[in-house]
Amino acid sequence: MDGLLSVCHGYEAKQRIVRNLIDKVMDEINEGTLLKKNLIWLELTGCSGNIISLLNGANPDFKYLMTKMANLVYSNSLMTAEGEDAVSHLVNVMNTDFILAVEGAVATKNNGLYNVIGKWRGEPLTALKAVKMLGEKAQHVMAIGACATHGGVSAAHPNPAKCVSVQSVLKRKVIKLPGCPCHPDWFMGTLAEILLYDAPKLDAKDRPVLFYSTLIHDRCPRRSFFDKGIFAKKLGDHTCMFKLGCRGPVTRTDCPVRQWNKYVNWPVEDDTPCIGCAQFGFPDLMEPFISYDTTRKERE
Amino acid sequence: MPTQKEMICMRMNQIVRELNDNTNCMYWVQSHYSRYVLLNQIKSKIEELHFINNLICIENEQMLRDRLQELPNQREFTLAELAEYDGKNSRPAYVSVEQIVYDVTNNATWAAATHFGLSAGKDLTNEFNACHEGQAILNKLKVVGKLV
Repeated sequence: MDGLLSVCHGYEAKQRIVRNLIDKVMDEINEGTLLKKNLIWLELTGCSGNIISLLNGANPDFKYLMTKMANLVYSNSLMTAEGEDAVSHLVNVMNTDFILAVEGAVATKNNGLYNVIGKWRGEPLTALKAVKMLGEKAQHVMAIGACATHGGVSAAHPNPAKCVSVQSVLKRKVIKLPGCPCHPDWFMGTLAEILLYDAPKLDAKDRPVLFYSTLIHDRCPRRSFFDKGIFAKKLGDHTCMFKLGCRGPVTRTDCPVRQWNKYVNWPVEDDTPCIGCAQFGFPDLMEPFISYDTTRKERE
Repeated sequence: MPTQKEMICMRMNQIVRELNDNTNCMYWVQSHYSRYVLLNQIKSKIEELHFINNLICIENEQMLRDRLQELPNQREFTLAELAEYDGKNSRPAYVSVEQIVYDVTNNATWAAATHFGLSAGKDLTNEFNACHEGQAILNKLKVVGKLV
């Protein structure tokens, strides 16, 4: 497998594409033809998994991205400012050119009071109000991860906070980067595309085609087992996990070639079925994540 | 004035020529980004071919349905019988759409006999039409009978 991948130009290009884009951004910033932009990273109802994933970025790493490419104005997980001082950064950026990245779903119950992200002039600032206020002014809005793109885990049944996607509360184009979490390369590459070309090419569901164009199933290293009808009967078997409920055939990302944790591995290679975390409707529509006692008949 | 079939034929030939041009470009283009732009163009042309193919297949699918009505020996399923084919415990997975029963046991999108929150052994006409109306995808499935 490794030998095959090492001679595949498409695979090699995939590894370098984000780095190439970001190098181009850097060249243009150094030449003065491109200006750094302000970036707001807004965390709403979620688990902070996307900012943690971003911090794990490797090519380039987070520090490089945020110091050389963009001015990170606000991230409640990373900034040192607290209280109204922190919120003032959000307010002050409103009159500048900025890109808004949102992770987490928007809690709408009780007019958004189920998620208060700070205080401004003594009043609670709800996530709902913040995302509307910033979303209307931003040059680009990026929804990062499952919860922001379609509600995700935060909107799973019974959805006590009545969480919805970022798109549901904004009447404008929202670039969607689904995944639980979003891969750091998907975010960094899309940000670089925005800086360079203003509008990245998106598919019908507003996902960048650079990262979301191909089914996991079509690039799965275990695809030949599926084609021959050789299926895993339990976790740990090294064959196709279709009969256990793998959602690779309905999920579009480049996990099989990009891989995770600094390009080390991905679920299927570690004998875990894809749970469709980058598919709209995850998790409810992708369940059950694992099934035994299903059809065992081999392909005729 | 060319007929509709001739126009479809001309357009398909044109797409094939464009695909050949794009493929040839892929050999000499150095920039990775340009390669991805070309790949996206190829992809959109393949999608157009798929669209044209679907148009043709929709006609064929209607023919399939018409033919099924004419088949006297097709196995008949009641809803209770269909429910037995739920894909559990080594049983095959069947679903019905518009009175036709299909085998989804080994269909890739029906992993573990489930599909976007739906399970096998049921009539899924409404669910199918809500998500896939106008898509010629049923003709890829094996027909195993009709629902009565």
